[in-house]
Amino acid sequence: MTVIVVLFVCAAAFAWESYVRSIGYVPTLNDTEDLWTQVRRQVRPESLVIVGDSRPLFDLDLDELEKGLGKRPVQIAVAGSCAYPILADLVNDDKFHGTVICSIVPGMFFVPGGPLLETSEKALKRYRTQTIAQRASHHLGMFLEEHIAFLKQEDLTLERLLAKLPIPNRPYAHVPPTLPPDFQTVDHERRMRMIEKCAQPGELQTRIQQIWPPLFTPPPPPSYVPKEVFMEQMGKAVEARFRDTVAAVNQLRARGGKIVFVRFPHSGELKALEDRLSPREKTWDPLIKSTGAPGIYYSDFPELSEFHCPEWSHLSAGDSVEFTRRLVPHLRTALGM
Amino acid sequence: MLFNSLTFVVFFAVVVTLYWSIRSWNPRKNLLVTASYIFYGAWNPPFAALLFSTTAMDFWLGARIARARGPHSRKLWLVGSVAMNLSMLGFFKYGNFLLENFQWFMARLGVIYQPPHLDILLPVGISFYTFHSLSYTLDIYRGVLEPTKSLRDFVLAVSFFPQLVAGPIVRAGDFLPQLVRAPSLRAGQFLWGLLLMTLGLFEKIVLADTMLSGAADRIFSYPGPLIALDSWLGVIAFAGQIFFDFAGYSICAIGAALCLGFHLKDNFRFPYAAIGFSDFWRRWHISLSTFLRDYLYIPLGGNQVRPFRAALNLVIVMFLGGLWHGAAWTFVVWGLLHGSYLVIERVLRILFEDKAWANNFGTRCLLAAATYGAVCIAWVFFRASDFTAASRMLSGMFGRHVSGDAILSTREMLQVIIVTACMILVHALLRDTNLETAVTRLPRWTVTGAWALMAGAIILTQGSSNAFIYFQF
Repeated sequence: MTVIVVLFVCAAAFAWESYVRSIGYVPTLNDTEDLWTQVRRQVRPESLVIVGDSRPLFDLDLDELEKGLGKRPVQIAVAGSCAYPILADLVNDDKFHGTVICSIVPGMFFVPGGPLLETSEKALKRYRTQTIAQRASHHLGMFLEEHIAFLKQEDLTLERLLAKLPIPNRPYAHVPPTLPPDFQTVDHERRMRMIEKCAQPGELQTRIQQIWPPLFTPPPPPSYVPKEVFMEQMGKAVEARFRDTVAAVNQLRARGGKIVFVRFPHSGELKALEDRLSPREKTWDPLIKSTGAPGIYYSDFPELSEFHCPEWSHLSAGDSVEFTRRLVPHLRTALGM
Repeated sequence: MLFNSLTFVVFFAVVVTLYWSIRSWNPRKNLLVTASYIFYGAWNPPFAALLFSTTAMDFWLGARIARARGPHSRKLWLVGSVAMNLSMLGFFKYGNFLLENFQWFMARLGVIYQPPHLDILLPVGISFYTFHSLSYTLDIYRGVLEPTKSLRDFVLAVSFFPQLVAGPIVRAGDFLPQLVRAPSLRAGQFLWGLLLMTLGLFEKIVLADTMLSGAADRIFSYPGPLIALDSWLGVIAFAGQIFFDFAGYSICAIGAALCLGFHLKDNFRFPYAAIGFSDFWRRWHISLSTFLRDYLYIPLGGNQVRPFRAALNLVIVMFLGGLWHGAAWTFVVWGLLHGSYLVIERVLRILFEDKAWANNFGTRCLLAAATYGAVCIAWVFFRASDFTAASRMLSGMFGRHVSGDAILSTREMLQVIIVTACMILVHALLRDTNLETAVTRLPRWTVTGAWALMAGAIILTQGSSNAFIYFQF
């Protein structure tokens, strides 16, 4: 009986692996909290650290940054997150006096609560509480992920496969928006590269483009809080985030650390949406002014504005290298190097 | 170390291989002790020292109880053991809870007292291993167990890794006799153990974490009012989730123990087919309910006292049972609700048990449905983060939020409905038997197919990092 079970499971796993490879999946690491923790542990007092959302994960090439800035950066940005808790954690580390490159997507950085904040907090929690057993499982998992294509926690788990079933929802139900499928490879340093299938026009690219607008649109005010009260609460939360960020920047600088804020390229309807929901003059400009920190807004520089994001939010793997090469001189200037 | 982790797969394969390749019994037991401490220390190594010190103290106290001449000194040594175990549990688990309540009480008296918040890390499984250890001194005191002469054997009885952190609560009296003679490797038993481990992981990873936890988590964490449909679906999702999570762990533990030649008693017996609450507690977390019955309810007088006192005993036991689950008043209310259910059931039994209609099929079905409904209502307090959330949930369930929000997707609703319906059907069909008998009756190809499908589904979910719910207790 056991032999039949083992044979069946092996045959099914082999068939599933062959199928997912045939539709474009390749073995790559999952960007888990454990991988983040592994990289976060590499931060040293004088490190060059990247924090933020998914854009620096895709758009910054670590080799080019090392070549241009003289240090290998540590990539601790978290996809689909608000960067503030990570930044605050770094700044609260009394030993840290290195350099921070912080990506700003205003709709994510200034978010007052919810899943974006929880994503960062979960990563931090794992960093603080990771057990020996979790660490061992992570290393075993990485070995498997490097060889098996169907091990995609964001895309090919039973839960995600069920979520893809085309079952219509009740029209009045507040159902969370769909998350994008995997469209990247990840290495041990958490360098993400967009897969070619997404970089080229096609079904995957179009599907992801359609996913961003609802994901970037803030949910309507909850039915159980009066709209005016809710808007007032949101306003206060955003003000508090501004104040906290200024305090964090000052704290870092007081210890001799440096920070530069970067607005990465985005395109198409997503750019229009972001510009409408969080206009530069209400988010980026006050942030740079109030913190006094240097900022690089990609569209201020023609050589950085030439890039197009295939799925509207991130650069292709090839463009990310060239973009980083062009960004380095601006980073050097901003950081006084 | 979680059962649903790659580390455990490797750990278990190594332990089982070494265990069965060693011929003499004592080295095998040494291996199990070492493996159990590695299993536990992989969470937080210093807590392994705490586990050992509690065990060693109870070993010594057990010997003192057995050697004590008079009943007074026997009782004194027992009080020492109970006080040591409960104070440790009290400090780690209830320290902050007690301080917060003391602060509240002082404030009612007009005294402003600001206690320091104790930064206490709860040792995983402390509620379980404390009870494993405590059962030893209690049974020696009751005269039903001879103290073991081997500290190593007792250490193994308390720390045996399959049941160490989330039960079943295995009494020393059930485990120590199994350490006398070496078990022999039997293929059928080993395979049954592996099948149970697969079933347990399937219940945990596929049914609890993948199919039900999403809906339960979203409903219980939603800060606004919900319509009745979503509220009920959230609650029944949690009812299924906690069953599959905890029963899954227990089945895994029983299976892992069986692969090593040890027999642990069933911890669940199709509880959602229970007819009445005493029946429910004979089927749900059996090792805890029998522990509380034997060491608390019966010493309080059980039902051999006046009816009012017997009812009070039930409420006391369930109050403490609730508190055992967590340091929060919501758990106490959950326990008290079950205590009240048991008292009401007892009254109804006195009034109607001998009526013919009370035992016909239709009435039994209705009573089973009522039991399930009442158990679900009690789960609200178990799962809700506080009384505000619990009250909001109950209001939704009973239709007080007609214009509330609907937040579940159709897929989530279907998952909850299908899994719950299948679960209740299976519980109803198997309520008068046990899993082993039921599986034995099935054709071989059905068992093979089901086993392969469960294993395939586990691989498809790619494991899960979700901890078992009962770890926090």
